[in-house]
Amino acid sequence: MLTLGAESAIYIVEYWGMTLALKWRHSKPYVHNKIDKLLRTSRTSRECKMLTFVRALGVPTPAVHSIDISNHSILMDFIEGQQFKQLVNTSSKKRITTLCHEFGKLLGIMHMSDIVHGDPTTSNAVVDMQSKMWLVDFGLAEKNATIEMKGVDMHLLRRAYETTHWALQEIMLESTMEGYVEISGDDAEAVLSRADEIRERGRYH
Amino acid sequence: MSLLCLGLEGTAHSFGAGVVSSEGKVLSNIWHMLSPVEGGIHPREASRHHSDVGPGIIKRSLKDAGVSHSDIQLVAFSRGPGLGPCLRTTATMARTLAQKLTVPLVGVNHCVAHIEIGCLESGFEDPVTIYVSGGNTQVIAFAGGRFRTFGETLDMALGNMLDVFGRTIGMSFPAGPSIEHAAADGVEYYQLPYSVKGMDLSYSGMLTAAKKLHLEGVPVADICFSIQETAFGMLAEVAERAVAHTKKNEILLTGGVACNNRLTEILEGVAERHGASFHRVSPPLAGDQGAMIAWTGILQHQAGDELPISDSHVMPKWRTDEQDILWRSRF
Ligand SMILES: Nc1ncnc2c1ncn2[C@@H]1O[C@H](COP(=O)(O)OP(=O)(O)OP(=O)(O)O)[C@@H](O)[C@H]1O
Ligand SMILES: [Mg+2]
Repeated sequence: MLTLGAESAIYIVEYWGMTLALKWRHSKPYVHNKIDKLLRTSRTSRECKMLTFVRALGVPTPAVHSIDISNHSILMDFIEGQQFKQLVNTSSKKRITTLCHEFGKLLGIMHMSDIVHGDPTTSNAVVDMQSKMWLVDFGLAEKNATIEMKGVDMHLLRRAYETTHWALQEIMLESTMEGYVEISGDDAEAVLSRADEIRERGRYH
Repeated sequence: MSLLCLGLEGTAHSFGAGVVSSEGKVLSNIWHMLSPVEGGIHPREASRHHSDVGPGIIKRSLKDAGVSHSDIQLVAFSRGPGLGPCLRTTATMARTLAQKLTVPLVGVNHCVAHIEIGCLESGFEDPVTIYVSGGNTQVIAFAGGRFRTFGETLDMALGNMLDVFGRTIGMSFPAGPSIEHAAADGVEYYQLPYSVKGMDLSYSGMLTAAKKLHLEGVPVADICFSIQETAFGMLAEVAERAVAHTKKNEILLTGGVACNNRLTEILEGVAERHGASFHRVSPPLAGDQGAMIAWTGILQHQAGDELPISDSHVMPKWRTDEQDILWRSRF
């Protein structure tokens, strides 16, 4: 097993002479059976569709080789590299800002096509040996996204920087926003001001 | 040498006073809650409640602890976040006491205090904390010298959602225990909106849908059952995401909703899956009370923190991650 995530376990497997990643959403006995089944099924099929859909937009994602809906598993390319989250701890500032810029661009591309990622953290971006950034974990992604949904996406991204990359959060946010605005242009403003508003909403009173 | 701290809590509808020693012994913990009327808490009414019951509760708390005024060496108060009028009333009592006793004053963050008293009780060192109450739904963990909110509600708090639903079906406040009780007889699961966004979640959609089920005549037991399964399932998912993301191996459940057994069972499952230890804070220390303020006040004071009276204005919007946690090692 490669990792145990919140929803799934990722295994590295050898198939057809290739190294692939198997994402398996196994059952959680502590969640009500109907909810568990519904989530595993809907997220597996959603992830599969979205991985493929956003790749057509130019967002690098692992190619899906097969999906087993009844087993709630997806077989996809294994991206050999490192989690963006880990890279932040070991890379130069320059490299980090370049990667953030790219992260922002990829989110911008998705948002311009009214797609949100749903969990845009640095855990869900993988950087390969050629420094190319790939996005993974599309189980919470959604189509026909509204400004509100895009605002939530940007709010989540900002919070991920705050909680996980506190020391570098300002420069990371700044370069991510540059990349984001570069792609989404005038549309960015409404989304970003909504993100600010969302940030205050759930707060105590 | 042992130090005794009197802690005053008064951020919302409860006022509490507790005495705790620097060895971590809770000597007393007395509180009183104002039952909110229709439409939630009225800040000024709650602050009046605090000034009415405050002096009596402080007196009882000292008596319960078997100490006199002169034994108190430190006064701590909940400085925020919370309702301005409530915070100000509580702060005024704390300042007056500190001046009268000529002891130092410390201002404590309410959310941080929930975590620290939970750590004291459980012996946990570095947990992912699930803090669920009428006013808060947060997933908090320590990182880089501060407690950081990894996830939270995007609209209403879990406890508030339960109370509002309870009120619409005629349950008295707080409705959480009645809903848990009713849910025990639920048999059928009705699907409700399950809304998780990364480590955040939203409860307003499921509240609307649950009210609709009630209008349609679905048995209350089934609705309560469905609400619990959905709302707690969502919370489990964000907790799990935070654990997977932070790789911490302790899960602490606190806040008023922590008394729910089904929620506890679900989070125990999460902990088991990730090989983490789990602790639910006991009801007297999970709700809003003064002991948590006193204990955190001691930790803060021992780390060199002291609040001059002239700087002791309250902070209604004090975010958890705005305070340097000097008493915990940075990593
Ligand atoms: N195709 C892949 N190639 C390489 N690494 C991958 C691949 N898919 C996932 N990973 C790695 O495994 C981790 C977990 O995967 P993923 O985020 O899809 O699982 P999850 O259970 O949905 O996670 P979460 O805890 O965020 O809900 C990712 O953060 C990433 O580092
Ligand atoms: Mg992930």
